[in-house]
Parts: sequence; structure tokens; C-alpha cells
Amino acid sequence: MTKLTLSRRSFLATGTAIGALSLVGLTPAELQAAGETTLRLRLDGDNKILDPGYMIGGTEIEAQKQCLPFLAQYKRDGDSFTWEPTYFVTKLELRDPTHIDFELADGLVWSGGNGPLMASDVKFSYERMKGTDWGGYFDALDHVEVTGDRTGTLVLNKPFAPFFMVTLCHGPGAILCEKAVGAAGGKFTTQFPAVCGPYVYDQVPGQSATFSTNPEWTGPKPGYDKVLLRVISETKAAELAFEAGELDCTELSTDTMARYKAAMPAGAAITTAGQLQYMWMGMNTEHPKLQDIKVRQAIQHAVDVDSIIAAAYSNVPAKSFGVVCPGLIGHRTATKSYSYDPEKARALLAEAGVSGLSLSIRSLNTQEPMLAAQIIQANLAAVGITLNVIPLDSGPFWEMGTESAGDTWKDLELWTMRFAGTPDPYEATQWFVSSQVGIWNWERWKNAEYDSLYEQGIAESDEAKRTEIYLRMQDIMEETGAYVWICHEPEAYVHPENIAINAAPSGELDYRHFSHT
Amino acid sequence: MAFLSGWQGVLGLVLVVAFFASAIFAPLFAPYDPNAMDIPARLSGPSLSHLAGTDQLGRDTLSRLLYGGRVALKIAALGVSLSMVIGLFLGMIAAFGPRWLDALLLLIFDSVRAFPTIILGLATVALTGPSLGLVLVIVIVTSIPQYARVTRTAALSLRGTEFIQAERALGASTARILGHHILPNVVGPLLILAAMDVPVVVSIEAGFSFLGLGVTPPTASWGTILNEGYLVIRDAPWMVVAAGVPLILTTLGFTFLAEALRDVFDPRMTKGR
Repeated sequence: MTKLTLSRRSFLATGTAIGALSLVGLTPAELQAAGETTLRLRLDGDNKILDPGYMIGGTEIEAQKQCLPFLAQYKRDGDSFTWEPTYFVTKLELRDPTHIDFELADGLVWSGGNGPLMASDVKFSYERMKGTDWGGYFDALDHVEVTGDRTGTLVLNKPFAPFFMVTLCHGPGAILCEKAVGAAGGKFTTQFPAVCGPYVYDQVPGQSATFSTNPEWTGPKPGYDKVLLRVISETKAAELAFEAGELDCTELSTDTMARYKAAMPAGAAITTAGQLQYMWMGMNTEHPKLQDIKVRQAIQHAVDVDSIIAAAYSNVPAKSFGVVCPGLIGHRTATKSYSYDPEKARALLAEAGVSGLSLSIRSLNTQEPMLAAQIIQANLAAVGITLNVIPLDSGPFWEMGTESAGDTWKDLELWTMRFAGTPDPYEATQWFVSSQVGIWNWERWKNAEYDSLYEQGIAESDEAKRTEIYLRMQDIMEETGAYVWICHEPEAYVHPENIAINAAPSGELDYRHFSHT
Repeated sequence: MAFLSGWQGVLGLVLVVAFFASAIFAPLFAPYDPNAMDIPARLSGPSLSHLAGTDQLGRDTLSRLLYGGRVALKIAALGVSLSMVIGLFLGMIAAFGPRWLDALLLLIFDSVRAFPTIILGLATVALTGPSLGLVLVIVIVTSIPQYARVTRTAALSLRGTEFIQAERALGASTARILGHHILPNVVGPLLILAAMDVPVVVSIEAGFSFLGLGVTPPTASWGTILNEGYLVIRDAPWMVVAAGVPLILTTLGFTFLAEALRDVFDPRMTKGR
């Protein structure tokens, strides 16, 4: 007989979670429909646009992965990532640098009587993407050639090595039903016009999203009959719900991750999806106070990155040495031209003839960036630079370096920044080419060699050569003196030990491949 | 002093004096530099070396609380006194000025009072960025109407009294009537209101700083300490407690003191209770 125990901790945790989930309409009975296996997850907000051409991203991509076909998917290979064909295709091959042949699996049908999955759906979906908000992912696509009902060729207008990893595996690579999307008016928002996958989708705005078994699905059976996602906007609330046993998996904040690493909840495990986020401190090379490279190099030497990682990120993320994230080709393991050395920083400032320098740093007003900014403030004060911290909301923050959004870019001096990307170094390096000055290259430097290497990196398919290209590109970035690399934050999930989860390196969960062991 | 005859008045006075003393003499009482970081000691619990523990950057929480009191004192002293003076001036103008001006000022007072303070703060910060000066301006702007309304009401009730009529008949100017007769009669209630308003202003500053709309780093404020503590409440609950205690004590102190003062200035209130 199982002994019933009630501790203060379990009472509080369970009570809090039940209370929180009750607010969004969850009842324990709802979770256990008879004979069904249900996976209970968290949704951080409503999915607003499921159309891959106009989506915001994040959990909308997760929904697409459950309900729409893809040609390729991510595959974890130790600490790195590669790609593999999905079960929607029997063939996906690079015939030459500009031709990718595919053959769709037989017997897969669209829901709602929209017929079988056809090569013409691939042509419709990918050629349609070129004119959408996510069209940049398809710049390299010239057209799709249909050679049979289920066969065709993706024809690229130039060799584009990242096409599989960046385009086909990611959300924009979703295939739509031409007939159903046409009947829906050419676009859709919160409901799929037709699905071809293991689940059908439904959502109650502000409350939940549900993935239920697709009765017309003839492909492999997913690990769970039903996936129930409750809208819980606060990460901390979701963590509490997990601790109380009300969720099967949820994303972790860095401080909770550190706490769990010290004392993991019983029966729980952490899976790190990837570390495709890169954070750095940038400097505006055109600003009068920062035009002298010696001043920028002094700042590079003055910042104690290890302290930032320890205090602002609880020592959880990997230290960064460039924009290419761990696990990707071209990832750097050390800086070349600077390290934390306040004496050297003071000497460089003296060489530059600068004293009494006063600068400002702009930061998102959230916990980690603000703590990082305060450490940088103390570090620079130690070498004689006064730093004013300017906290900003996400709205003004994300447009402060963009020329089309006003004149703030002219006053921009220092800032902390975090980008997230896909598992190919091409994406991280694209934001710093000369044509990006005033758009995303807020550091405002131009380098012809960098621009040339960027084009070479896209066209090159040899991995060793690409590695050399991206390493050199990051050397060039560092030599501008405009960067202090900080860290790569992980996308980490906590789940019971007996549930195996599946997450893309950029963090999107793939519920189809969750399994109970 | 009559208001010290009750325990609430004494307690209020003690807490208010403690608030002023700890803020003014913070550099003497604080065991550490409030901005000195000690990252290896981050999130340490209360101990003999750090009585209120440390924050995420290893800064001594007690020292930051003491220095945070200076921010609260500055905002309270400047905010309350300036809004009281401006409110007093506008209230008397409304009472003794032309009717159209009275109506216009009332419309402005009501409009300001109807606008939520936080929304006003968020909107202003979006334009100017966060700063202590901004908090001060918002406190003054949103507090003026209550002082002005109290002054106007008191002045209007006095305007029709016989002694004011007599002054007018003797040829006294409006300025003389306001300065010599109206002002002394409305200052008492305004001082009570000001004492009641101090904890409100302290809370507004803490609230704004909690939301990131007030002081900028590394300046310590009770609101920022509360915010930082809230973010690590499961790892370091002492930060929230430490920041909450001075807020509670300051509120209690000024409230008790104001009630005691009111009992002295208006004994009818005491009898009525």
C-alpha cells in the first residue's frame, strides 16, 4: 500500500500549480481522457499566424512540424547538428550544387478530402514563399521542377550550402496543400486549411492549443495520442507547474537551470536543445568617442566576461568567442586579439590620449542584460571610463541602430545584444556584411574581405573550407575592436527522466518524436 | 507636545526620525560601498558580515537599502513640498480668481487625477527614458490636484465668512486676504495631507523603480532591490523581505504621525471616532 505523505513543500507546490492552471481552465480530469496518452506542455502565448510565409515563429513552427510535411529535419550528431530526410520523402538528394531531387512518400493524404500529397504542393509552397515575409530563406531558390506526381527537383539560382539546414529543416520549409490554401484565399492564420501529419490542431485563444490524432494519417504513429499545451506566459510559473507534476516538459530560465543542476527535482532530467543564441557587447565604430580603435580595444580588454557569465547567467551558458555557436562549423574556442586585462586597457587608453571618457550602454531592461550592463559599468569604471546604463523596452531597443527608425543610431555608443539563429554559420554572419550597415550591422564597419568570404561561405560545400572561411570572418569582426563576445545561452528543457523529448537546435519542440520510455 | 500623548504618535515619530536619520547618515551606517561587487559572494544569505545578505552581483543589501532610503527621502521631500506649494498657489487662484479660471483649473485637476499614474509614467519613459528626475516630475504633476482641491475648498468656505467680508469692506487687497487670512487657515490641513502623502510618494518611487522606470543602475532604490529580489525569490528570499521592511515601516511611521497630527489640529475627528 502506498503511504500518503504530505509535506509543506509538496502542498505549496501542488497548490500553487493547481491554482495557476485552474486560472487557465485546466482540470485534472481533462488531462486523462480514457485510454489516451496525453503529453502536457506549455505554450508561452497564442499561436497567431500558422502560415509559414507570415508567421512570427517559435511555437508556430512547432505547430507546423506536427501538422504539415517537411522534406528535411534536424538530426543531432553528438554535440553538432546535421540534417536527414523526413518520413514524408523516400528520396532527398543533392544532385549537383544547384539541384536537389526529391520523391514524396506514397499514400500520404491531406485532410478534408484534399487529395494526396503531391510534388505540385511542394512547388506551390516553396515558390509562394519567395514573395512572403520569410522570403529571404528562399532567395537561393530559382524554381521547383515537377517531374511526376510525387517527384521533383528544387532548382537553385546559385550554390547555397545552408539550404538544407536553414531553409528545408526550419519552419519556412513547411509544405502546404495547394488546393486547400487556394480555397482559403491564399493565406491563413489560426487554423491550417488542411493537414498532412500525425495530428490535427485546435486552439482556444488565451487558454490552450490541442494536437489530437489525425484519423487520416497513414504515416508513423507519434509517441502520444494527444498533446495539450496550456498558455502560461511566465517561465517561472511554468517551472512551478512542472515541479508540481502538472506539466511534462517546460523551458528553463538560466537561474532555475543552475538551481536544478545543484539539486535536480526527483525523477527529472534536463535536455539542452542547442546553444544557438549569441550575446555580445557592441561598439559603434563611427561614433566620435569610439572612432579610435585603441579606445575600442581598451574596452575589449576591460570587460570581465567570466564575471558576467557567473553573475548574470549563473555560470550556465558557454563563454562566447564569436557569433558562430557551439556545435556549428566555424565555432571559435578562443579570442585572438583580446582577453580580460585591465592594465592593458589602461595602457591602450593612455596610448590613445584619452582620459575622463564618458560613455553610455543601452540594454534591454530584463534581468540578465541589466546585470551584464552593471558589471560592464563597474569594469569600465575600473579603467577610468564612466558608463551610463540606459535600460530600454524591447520596442525602442530593437530599432535603436536602424537608420530607417530615426536618428538614435547616431548616438549609439555601446550596447549589449543577443541574436538567435539556425544551425548554420551563414545566418549568424549575414548581419555584418557591408550592406547591413544601418540595418543590423549597428557596429557600422565595412570590410571587403569579409563580404567576399560571406559569398564564398554560402557557395562552398566543403566543410573544412567553410570552417576556415567562418573562422576568418570572425577574426575580422574581432579585429575591428567593436565586439566583446559574451555567451551562448542554451535552450534547455526539463522533463521527467522517463520521457524522451525532441527539440530542434533553435529550441522548437517536435512533439511527434516525444516518447515515454 | 499633545500628539506625543498616544503610542501611535510616538511610534510614528520614532519611525520617521529613523527614516530621516538612516537616509541622511547612510554613508556612516552602511557597512560597505553600496555598489561594490563581490561576485563569488553573490546571493549570500544573511550573516554577520552581510546582515541582509547580498544580491546577484554580491553587493551588500543592507548598504543598498540605506542608500536606497536617500532616494526615497529625496523624492518624498522634493515631491511633496513642491506639489504642496504649487497646489496651494493654484487652489487659492481657483477660489479667488474668475469663475472661468476656476472651472478650467478644476477641469485640469480632474483630468490629471483621472489619468493612471503608471500609464503616465510608462508613456513618459517611452519618450524620455527612465530617470529619477522623471519620477519626481510625475509625482509632482499627479499630486498637485489633491493639494489644490483641498486649498480651494478651504478657501471658498472662508471667502464668505464675516471677517473676510469685513477685511474687504476695509479695503484690503485680495493678495493681503490670501496671505494674511486664507493661507494660515489652510496650511494646517495641507501639512497633515503632506504627511499622509509621503508614504504614497515613497511607494510610487519604489513602484516606478520596480518597473524599471525610475533610478538607473547602479543607484540603489528600494524598488529596484525589491525587483531584483523578486526575480530570485526562490533562491534568495531575504532580498524581497529586506526591501519590503523599510517600505512598510516608513508607511506606518508617516501614517501614525499624520493621524496624530490630525488629532491635534482637528480634535473633533478624535471625538467622532
